[in-house]
Amino acid sequence: MNLNKLFVLSRSVNLGRNLFAGRVAQKGDCLPRFQSRRSIRSSARSLVYAKDLFLGKVNKAEVFPYPEISNEELEEINQLVQPVEKFFSEDVDSKKIDHEAVIPPETLNGLKELGLFGIQIPEEYGGLGLSNTMYARLGEITSLDGAIAVTLAAHQAIGLKGILIAGNDAQKAKYLPKLATGEHIAAFCLTEPGSGSDAASIQTRATLTEDGKHFLLNGTKFWISNGGWADIMTVFARTEVVDKDGQKKDKITAFIVERAFGGVTSGKPEDKLGIRGSNTCEITFEETKVPIENVIGEVGGGFKVAMNILNNGRFSMGSAGAGMIKKLIAWTSEYACTRKQFNRSLSEFGMIQDKFATMALNAFVMESMAYLTSGMMDRPGVPDCSLEAAMVKVFSSEGSWVCVSEALQVLGGLGFTKNYPYERYLRDCRILQIFEGTNEILRMYIALTGMQYAGKILTGKIKEMKKGNVGVVFEILGKKLKESVVKTVDFGLTGKDGVVHPSLTESAKMFEQNAAHFGSTVEGLLYRYGKTIVEEQLVLKKVADVLINLYAMTAVLSRTSRSISIGLRNHDHEVLLTNTFCKDAHFKNNFLLTQLQKNSPENNDANIKKIAQEVLAKREYICSHPLDRTF
Amino acid sequence: MNAPRQLLRIQCIGCVARFLGTPVQRVVLAGVAHVQTPRSQHSYGQLLRPFHCSAVCFTNRQSQTELEKTAEDETLKKDKSLVTHDDLFERAARDSKTKADFNRVVDVFSKKDIRRRGHVEFIYAALKKMPEFGVERDITVYNKLLDVFPKEVFVPRNFIQRMFNHYPRQQECGVQLLEQMENYGIMPNVETKVLLAQIFGEKSHPMRKYQRIMYWFPKFKHANPFPVPHVLPSDPIELARFSLTRIADDLDGKITIYQYPSTDITEAGEEVTSPHIVGIQSPNQRSLLAKHNPCKPVFVEGPFPLWLRKTCVHYYLLRADPIPPEEKVEEEFDPEMIGPEQSLFYPQRVELDLERDMGDDFKFDVDDVEEGPVYAMCMAGQGDQATLSQWISGLQETCPILGQIPTVFRLESGPRELQTSSDAQQTPEQEVETDQIIEEEPLHSRRVNQ
Repeated sequence: MNLNKLFVLSRSVNLGRNLFAGRVAQKGDCLPRFQSRRSIRSSARSLVYAKDLFLGKVNKAEVFPYPEISNEELEEINQLVQPVEKFFSEDVDSKKIDHEAVIPPETLNGLKELGLFGIQIPEEYGGLGLSNTMYARLGEITSLDGAIAVTLAAHQAIGLKGILIAGNDAQKAKYLPKLATGEHIAAFCLTEPGSGSDAASIQTRATLTEDGKHFLLNGTKFWISNGGWADIMTVFARTEVVDKDGQKKDKITAFIVERAFGGVTSGKPEDKLGIRGSNTCEITFEETKVPIENVIGEVGGGFKVAMNILNNGRFSMGSAGAGMIKKLIAWTSEYACTRKQFNRSLSEFGMIQDKFATMALNAFVMESMAYLTSGMMDRPGVPDCSLEAAMVKVFSSEGSWVCVSEALQVLGGLGFTKNYPYERYLRDCRILQIFEGTNEILRMYIALTGMQYAGKILTGKIKEMKKGNVGVVFEILGKKLKESVVKTVDFGLTGKDGVVHPSLTESAKMFEQNAAHFGSTVEGLLYRYGKTIVEEQLVLKKVADVLINLYAMTAVLSRTSRSISIGLRNHDHEVLLTNTFCKDAHFKNNFLLTQLQKNSPENNDANIKKIAQEVLAKREYICSHPLDRTF
Repeated sequence: MNAPRQLLRIQCIGCVARFLGTPVQRVVLAGVAHVQTPRSQHSYGQLLRPFHCSAVCFTNRQSQTELEKTAEDETLKKDKSLVTHDDLFERAARDSKTKADFNRVVDVFSKKDIRRRGHVEFIYAALKKMPEFGVERDITVYNKLLDVFPKEVFVPRNFIQRMFNHYPRQQECGVQLLEQMENYGIMPNVETKVLLAQIFGEKSHPMRKYQRIMYWFPKFKHANPFPVPHVLPSDPIELARFSLTRIADDLDGKITIYQYPSTDITEAGEEVTSPHIVGIQSPNQRSLLAKHNPCKPVFVEGPFPLWLRKTCVHYYLLRADPIPPEEKVEEEFDPEMIGPEQSLFYPQRVELDLERDMGDDFKFDVDDVEEGPVYAMCMAGQGDQATLSQWISGLQETCPILGQIPTVFRLESGPRELQTSSDAQQTPEQEVETDQIIEEEPLHSRRVNQ
């Protein structure tokens, strides 16, 4: 049974002609045997790309060709972008915002007039009603000031997203119009003093009043962006719910809380390293009376709401980071080309050139990933892009940090001073790795979600293998033998009917090789660790890193193929960037995958763990001083 | 004089001597002699002095009156006796035994006779007496003792001497001295090396011993990850703090001083001493105690000994019996909170029907013996129930639930006070009290309002 399934599966991938094969295959247990039935099944579109990579499958229909927007949409967005860009370059004084740690009201009013507080709110509620892609495009510009970007994101990417995606019509009609104009500002209240990333330990409690019409909300929320001036808050609290068995249980419920309900006090704004203009503070709810119709979704269903809000809100960080780096490249290259040292301009030095190449590569990859993801999210159907969005966030937050730091380095000492904006960008950009799920947690999320997905499908096969089923073992041996003889993996990205442009063949091959290797590595990891993989954080980190690289390679391959095909300006430069990035990522992946092999000499995890354990046991650096003596 | 320089000079002399033979060496050494301060008034053997006096010798004391005389008497009377030196120390230490006294005896011996007759016996006797004088851990004293050996005399001068055990008794004595240092954990210093080189030469047995010590000692110096200082704090509270943190190897553990030692005189004129009570409890222990089932008793047990080098201190535990398996409450997790696809940020577990592969399972099969939880520890000046109840009531401040839990005192007989040399007095009544095991009725200690 199992053997059969796999055989069908692998053949369908190898053929690479049937675009639906991948999507059906992920159904796993109900894999149909016949082509005719398969096409019927596939009508329910469920979009997965990254998850399938865990099975060693490249679901190329999802990512090729690169998503486009229509001409009308492009027109619209360009019309929108111009005034926003003008506003940011002329009316926003980032230095002042950073120094005084507050966004002046006239700047906020300008943002409101531009409609930036309701980018994704449908037009019927007075918003701009833009798609995810267009939201990402605007994010490129708003990111020029970190404080404003965070304020806007806290307002609409998480603050009001709950009402938008899970609220009922009455709630939408009541709250969205005012939120869209910026008359009301929204905040997202999840984090608590005792639960940073551990959302399960929420202590804020909502109890139903006796008349059953209100909830009384009590508790404290921490690090709430916009907490000081928000009028509408999405608050998550524990409520008592009677489950099927008639037992009382605590479940998380999401509420829309107006400041006007009373009992809401916000603390002093936190003094932060970066994004100083944004308002972050503590909010305390004391016997706040929330009417029962303000529950988002259903009582006890708050967890799903929170998850959906967070999982899909992250993709825009890619475009934001790219927007910022593009600006930095412009500024620093100006400096590098005019500043002379040793009678040569800085731009002639290899090490300076290296920095610019790094910045260009990072911006290019981030952009590609962000718009690929937003395009996937904008497709009809129920997109499952949380993994992709998380990858965009991790890659772009780390890339931005490196790039801003390199940009600052180009200027040397000047970059370190407050006369230039670089130090501010460096400070602002540090938060990217922390908020909306720290990168560590997101890596765990990326790796574990994929592992769970792959594990469900592969469990049967692995069990057979462990039992010593001769058939399965032979099949695997045969596969390995075949791989070693044929050496090339073919997912049908290149060649006849290929989706990648021939000038990127080499890069595509590298990607395919990595993808196949990744699939078999995941299988090996599942075989070795089973469900205890959760405890292997260092392994999971590497798995996540490989997957991020794979997704980044996909994004650049897809984007550049399109650019070449339709003849965009400077597409030869894109080819160069793509090939460079893919080669780099390929070798990084190879190294990571080698480390993931059993007993690999490259793997230093055991030692790393031991060092940390020894240091943490004493809670200090335990080496003797190099000048110490014993006699 | 700078010791290393001296060492260097000896080596130079050795080289010269090898080339020129002995007579020259004498002359050269005589030249060296002028650098050193002759310290004796004896006119006899001016030339020989430097051979017997090292660079590290102490300057002379002015008055060595009585002892000196007795020593001289002794030399006259029982010159050939082997047991004289013990007496010398006995006599010197009739009233006090200090480092100064010890040094005085050594000085007297060194000055007594230019030939240092009987120095091996003297050194053996001195080594034996060192602990008595409390100088067994003093490197300067060892060096001073080594200095008693005449210099240069035992250094082999030709290959035959070098081949055979030259002056075996003296070398043995030197080794014995180093061995005693080793046993007390005293690391020789450069001065020791200079002396050994002067006395026995570069390749003698004592020198080898020295080299071995210097090889191993530094290596083992930090072998103990939990070192105990040689001098323990004298304040009982500080000592208790040190001991408790030593037992409870938990950096979160918090020391609380429930009571400072004090002595009050009541109106009736009775002297009431309140002993010190020092306790340690970590946040984990506190939360465990808060979860304790109030129907089950907790026990105050003790005293248990803890040895800190030569001091023994006693501590008491607040513990409970292990929870029987049928009463254990498994902490239930809401699958929605931690399950796959559900958790807000990342799943705390994956739902797979796959165990860890045997090849990757490096866990040892350890038979875990269930033990009851230990909730807190304390050290007290007195181990009677009244004192320990005070500790319990102190604990109640942070753990109110303790007021509802029956507390049983299971105190065994044993010393009630910290056995430090200074305060080892106990009243006889107390001892009688402690002699039998006190098994009390469960005592519902009431919450103390303070």
